[in-house]
Amino acid sequence: MGRRGEPYYVEAAPPVDVNKNTEWFMYPGVWTTYILLLFFVWLLVLSVSGCSPGAAWTVVNLAHFAITYHFFHWKKGTPFAADDQGIYSRLTWWEQIDNGQQLTRNRKFLTVVPVVLYLIASHLTDYKQPMFFLNTIAVFVLVVAKLPNMHKVRIFGINADI
Amino acid sequence: MVRLPYVTALTTLFSYGLLFAFGQLRDFFRRILDARKPSNLKGYAPICLGLEDFYTRRLYLRIQDCFGRPITSAPDAWFDVVERYSNDCNKTLHRTTATTKCLNLGSYNYLGFAAADEYCTPRVIESLKKYSASTCSVRADGGNTKLHTELELLVATFVGKPAAILFGMGYVTNSAIIPALVGKGGLIISDSLNHNSIVNGARGSGATVRVFQHNNPAHLEEVLREQIAGGQPRTHRPWKKIIVIVEGIYSMEGELCKLPEVISVCKKYKAYTYLDEAHSIGAIGKTGRGVCELLGVDPADVDIMMGTFTKSFGSCGGYIAASNEIIHHLKLTCPAHIYATSMSPPAVQQVISAIKVILGEDGTNRGAKKLAQIRENSNFFRLELQKMGFEVLGDNDSPVMPIMLYNPAKIPAFSRECLRQNVAVVTVAFPATPLLLARARICISASHSREDLIKGLEVISKVGDLVGIKYFPVEQEKTTAVEKLKKIQ
Repeated sequence: MGRRGEPYYVEAAPPVDVNKNTEWFMYPGVWTTYILLLFFVWLLVLSVSGCSPGAAWTVVNLAHFAITYHFFHWKKGTPFAADDQGIYSRLTWWEQIDNGQQLTRNRKFLTVVPVVLYLIASHLTDYKQPMFFLNTIAVFVLVVAKLPNMHKVRIFGINADI
Repeated sequence: MVRLPYVTALTTLFSYGLLFAFGQLRDFFRRILDARKPSNLKGYAPICLGLEDFYTRRLYLRIQDCFGRPITSAPDAWFDVVERYSNDCNKTLHRTTATTKCLNLGSYNYLGFAAADEYCTPRVIESLKKYSASTCSVRADGGNTKLHTELELLVATFVGKPAAILFGMGYVTNSAIIPALVGKGGLIISDSLNHNSIVNGARGSGATVRVFQHNNPAHLEEVLREQIAGGQPRTHRPWKKIIVIVEGIYSMEGELCKLPEVISVCKKYKAYTYLDEAHSIGAIGKTGRGVCELLGVDPADVDIMMGTFTKSFGSCGGYIAASNEIIHHLKLTCPAHIYATSMSPPAVQQVISAIKVILGEDGTNRGAKKLAQIRENSNFFRLELQKMGFEVLGDNDSPVMPIMLYNPAKIPAFSRECLRQNVAVVTVAFPATPLLLARARICISASHSREDLIKGLEVISKVGDLVGIKYFPVEQEKTTAVEKLKKIQ
């Protein structure tokens, strides 16, 4: 039993999330894909630009900040004209996942990732100035945006509804 | 519950991420390039705001030629598919006058009534001449003909309930009945993979909706207990009515519902049950009476049985079968009965004739032969596909079998390659199915002969090898290993 070269199977039970925009996040393999993606982008940046590993991690951290902030905390609604009659059109993706429940495993994982990226990037750049400042802003904004107290909060009405 | 190789899960997520990234990139450049063009909105708000149509524009339209293919003949076992071409990467498709004869593995033609039938068609033409194509009136007004009353009685006795009511459209049957049955202060517990019509009806009713894990009676019991203990939201008063909605065969999974367990849970907690037999009526069970007959459940235990005539009976419309009181209430309150045009008389005649064939009342045993044929065909096809190493969902005896594809790129690859080899299959992707679980859905018919099925299997096997969807080890390897062992001994 278990010959070498046999693929490793996972079971995918259909999750009970009715929101099609977020239910894909409950499948096995999502966390691994996310981490592998970050790692490969770092390799790509390093091989294309030839900068130091720390600078490459800073680039990855800042790009990660821009992309995840835009898609998780800025864009609202769902990317398909869903039959849910627009009940999520005022909620960002972060507010939609896990049906609005706070402090679930997925949310904790997503909060930890920017912090780990920050630690790696600052360590490998020896906490030197311009990079350190930018990295700190990135992690500060991302972690604050993911706090449970910020659920449905729009500071100064930024990104409030049309 | 599907089992997929871990690497496939990772690559599928990565593919969707890549498609999403490219779509966003294209949108970004489109916005820059269009910034200079004057907007022709003339002060009106845009129809689609923000991201709403992103999926349609950037993912669906790219593989649009795999969906909605026009046909020019009746959807029998073999039919003519119109060839289309596109000059702008599938944004617009143009039909040609050329057609290809293809094996039809996608139509819900379970008993073969989709094409002309020797018993049904002459009678339908006769009723068309006698009653005309439409009554142009509502049931309550001038749209009630002798045929409609005859069919309601026939459906009620066929299904095993005291009374039935007909509707002109299957989707409307669910979405207009559920609001008439339960309203604010009621609770609807529906299976997580229920059809869109049920979801629509549940949302439109105003009742609270809760979802339980697909086909999991233990989770249903958990949800029931939690909800009954909690009562209505905010006021915590007891629920006025609790309805549990399940389907006979789930059209995307091919699975049968675990009906006996669900019924026993519902009886224990005094909840009503609503069974949607759109795909199972006429297609399974020894005499075609659906999932109740197959699983040995007494129809009196299910409170409301719903079904459609589009799949097994080759017609259109839907029905609800329940006790006399419920049907009487529906006739007085359901807008689909009071305000919608009644079913077209030839369509009603088609169902009457089809049911007579199934019951053997036309004087031949074609009905019994068809039922045996579809059961044999489904089991044969499913067994062969599983032997080849495909991941096929669904229970035995179910004529619906989805073949898992997973990767978004394999959807157009499988679909186009099969069409090139003259086999027409239906592929389904997100958002009709969960993101990771894209599939090609095969529907077997009683009009498929053994040779048709073998041809279908050959083509699917070849295309499966090309596309790489044989996720399970082929059974032949086990037998050759055993032979090698025997030789050593």
